[in-house]
Amino acid sequence: MKMGGLLIRVWVAACLIFLAAPIVVVIFSSFSASGYLRFPPQELSLRWYAEFLSSEAWLKPLAVSFVLALCVAVITTAVSGLAAVAISRRRFLGRGAFGFVVMAPLLFPHAAIGVALLGALAIPGWVGTLQGIFLAHAILCLPFAYRPLINALRGFDPSMEEAAMSLGASPSFVVRHVTLPILKPAIVTSLIFTFIISFDEVTVTVFLIGPKAGTLPTQIFTTIQESASPVIAAVSSFLVMLTVGVVFLLDRLVGLQFFSELERSR
Amino acid sequence: MLKPRRHWLYLAPAALIMAVFGVGLVQVVLYSFRSDGGLFGNFADILARPDYVDLFVRTIRIAALTTGFCILIGYPVAYVIARAQRARNLLLILVMLPWMVSIVVRTYGWIVILGNRGTLNTLLMSTGLTSSPIRMLFNEIGVVIGLVHVFSPFMVISILSTFLMVDEVFEEASMSLGAGPLETFWRVILPLTAPGLIAGCAIVFLLSSGAVVTPHLLGGPRTTMVATQIYQDVFQSFNFPKASAMALFLLLLVMVVLWPLGRLERHLGRHLRQADAQQ
Repeated sequence: MKMGGLLIRVWVAACLIFLAAPIVVVIFSSFSASGYLRFPPQELSLRWYAEFLSSEAWLKPLAVSFVLALCVAVITTAVSGLAAVAISRRRFLGRGAFGFVVMAPLLFPHAAIGVALLGALAIPGWVGTLQGIFLAHAILCLPFAYRPLINALRGFDPSMEEAAMSLGASPSFVVRHVTLPILKPAIVTSLIFTFIISFDEVTVTVFLIGPKAGTLPTQIFTTIQESASPVIAAVSSFLVMLTVGVVFLLDRLVGLQFFSELERSR
Repeated sequence: MLKPRRHWLYLAPAALIMAVFGVGLVQVVLYSFRSDGGLFGNFADILARPDYVDLFVRTIRIAALTTGFCILIGYPVAYVIARAQRARNLLLILVMLPWMVSIVVRTYGWIVILGNRGTLNTLLMSTGLTSSPIRMLFNEIGVVIGLVHVFSPFMVISILSTFLMVDEVFEEASMSLGAGPLETFWRVILPLTAPGLIAGCAIVFLLSSGAVVTPHLLGGPRTTMVATQIYQDVFQSFNFPKASAMALFLLLLVMVVLWPLGRLERHLGRHLRQADAQQ
């Protein structure tokens, strides 16, 4: 096993290098002075960052993506929280079916979801609008918000709430001081996950953007097709740093073990 | 708390949001029948074109290769993470961080690495391993590399979640009863972790056959997949009915692959639970 163990470790190290490679390369090339996409860069410079942070063509989609992801995170978490409460605490006809419907977006290839939403949003004329992109992101995020919340609510002991009630607490007091604190890890998980998914989403979003509404990832996508300007590297590095921040936030707030929790209920 | 009969109120917002998706699926079906050549004109057109047969074969080949390489990465990485003590969180971060970086960013990174004048080719040429650049972009090699990178963390997580439920004592017991490492893997570890492995394969196949951005950017105009063809039909030829028919073919393709995988996963899961109950 000794020899085999060493071999596995070397292979795993190679895999981790493979996973890190494009990200490391992007960060390094973003500091290159020449307009060339070269790694390693010959001369260091921050000019691409300056160009990114001074151009409205980049700052506007950045702001759009940020606000959009914030709205999507808060609203989908609230919406799936309500649905999860009803499904975990009531028995009614179609209960199982409803849980299935919420998870349905996970079963479709993204290109098909993109076409479907393009068809649906064309009816009210919402293609190329922010409310259209918001709806699309909400649909894609719903399973990821619903899953941690329904799992937490299934493990929730209703006698906690009953105890508080029997001791004279009002329903709103119980929700604020008993229910929400117990559900806090699931809520935080849902908020952060849906924020990241919305902020990063591109495959479905590229079907729905228009000249007036685009997100940061779709802006990168369209720019790469036009020219391989190193500004993209600067924008990308900025996104990587943002992601690093979020992952550390996650580790601090809920721990990283929940990743495997999330997958188990799939 | 939740008053009787109020549950519909709680379900309504989620139901409304999902209804948009439902309407979209109906639209896709309706549009796919809209053509000049009769009710099934779009489907007949697609099936009659030999380059589309190639397109479907290429899509299956790329998605299958991607799934295979994801197993090669995902299984050992999940194993090492599950068995690691102190380094587990660090290893998990090294897998999670690339996973959470946007797909466009990672795909852009591969363009920088794999281009004719990219990192890898300049490295290979400066060390004298090749004299002219090796073509790795705008062909299937580039697409598979990009897709494996984008989706292998899904495989790691899926396998890891079953590995965390398999106690190390099974391995030790098998070894102490005289089985070698390979036999232990083949007869003990692999059967116990098979549900996670199969679920991971299903996820990776689904996602890689539906991916648009990575194949579009790394494959170029000739290495199309069904999903990128759908994107081109919508935005370059503005043929929504044909894109809809194509999307239905994509759904069919994914269902044909995922249905047996799902059955197998459930079967194995039940089998393992029964074995657990008998202990």
